Amino acid sequence: MSRFCHFLCVVLLTVFVGQSADARPVSYPDGWTIMQQNNGDFSSAHVHYSPTFQDSFGIYSERNWSSDWQFTGVQYNRLVKRWNTSDSQANLYFKLGAGQADAFGDGEESLAGFVDMSADWETRRWFLAYDARAYDLGFDQDFRQFARVGVAPYIGDYGDLHTWLMVQVDHDPESDTPVTATPLIRFFYDVQLLEIGYTPETDRFMLNWIIRL
Amino acid sequence: MTVFKSAFIATALMMAAPVGLAESAETEQASNATQIIAKVNGMVCDFCARAVTKVFGKEDAVESVDVDLDAGEIRVALKSGATISDERVGELVKKSGYDLVSVLRDTA
Repeated sequence: MSRFCHFLCVVLLTVFVGQSADARPVSYPDGWTIMQQNNGDFSSAHVHYSPTFQDSFGIYSERNWSSDWQFTGVQYNRLVKRWNTSDSQANLYFKLGAGQADAFGDGEESLAGFVDMSADWETRRWFLAYDARAYDLGFDQDFRQFARVGVAPYIGDYGDLHTWLMVQVDHDPESDTPVTATPLIRFFYDVQLLEIGYTPETDRFMLNWIIRL
Repeated sequence: MTVFKSAFIATALMMAAPVGLAESAETEQASNATQIIAKVNGMVCDFCARAVTKVFGKEDAVESVDVDLDAGEIRVALKSGATISDERVGELVKKSGYDLVSVLRDTA
């Protein structure tokens, strides 16, 4: 019962607080996106197709090093709400995954799923994001969240190489180091995005990239 | 009765003429426009604004698309003789994930 309550609280919290894990989990109509994340705690790959600018669906795979499990399944992403103003944009996303998971060395697979809420707000100078994700792995439950703040050191024109300096604070209760701060640098050019960061507490590097097709 | 019928036809023609002229002028303006400038809200990110190029680029009437992030404008060059209505521009902006503020047509 307590685990269920914890899971329910997490879901409700994420629904009302909102957040954005993967940068822009939906693309333009008929757009394909490949995104890959690597940090000390997990490595993941997500390929999705967007039939509209509000929806995308695809496959997601994650190998979680900190909690010793692997998940593979399908993922649906929904842009719940977008706020456009003359100098900013804010987004609220909902993500749902379903598939199977197995613990390292266990050999047994079980049905698994996750729910994720994310949100971001950005101007051409500032960026804020938050993401929370809760897993039910069948044999275990997992939860993690992060918040990010960023600033663009210069304002580039359309087509330029864009650079962002960011700090991401992660909270992963299952990890050996539950709270970490990762300074990172984000580049994007055309349809490619690259993020490189370093986490001093764990002495690990972050490498994320996205390509839109 | 003949006089009444003639007066009716004349009145109808007088009322219809301005509408016809207005439609004709609008069509002429649209057909002469070589560039459309759509002012939009929410376009602050280069990476995300790629949607604009993709969505507008699929239109037969569109020759090329450029984005001005500073001005929040989408600049669409039309093919020779091609037209695209304001309503269609609004649909494409919405499809790209932004909100249309205004549409200007440049015939220069």
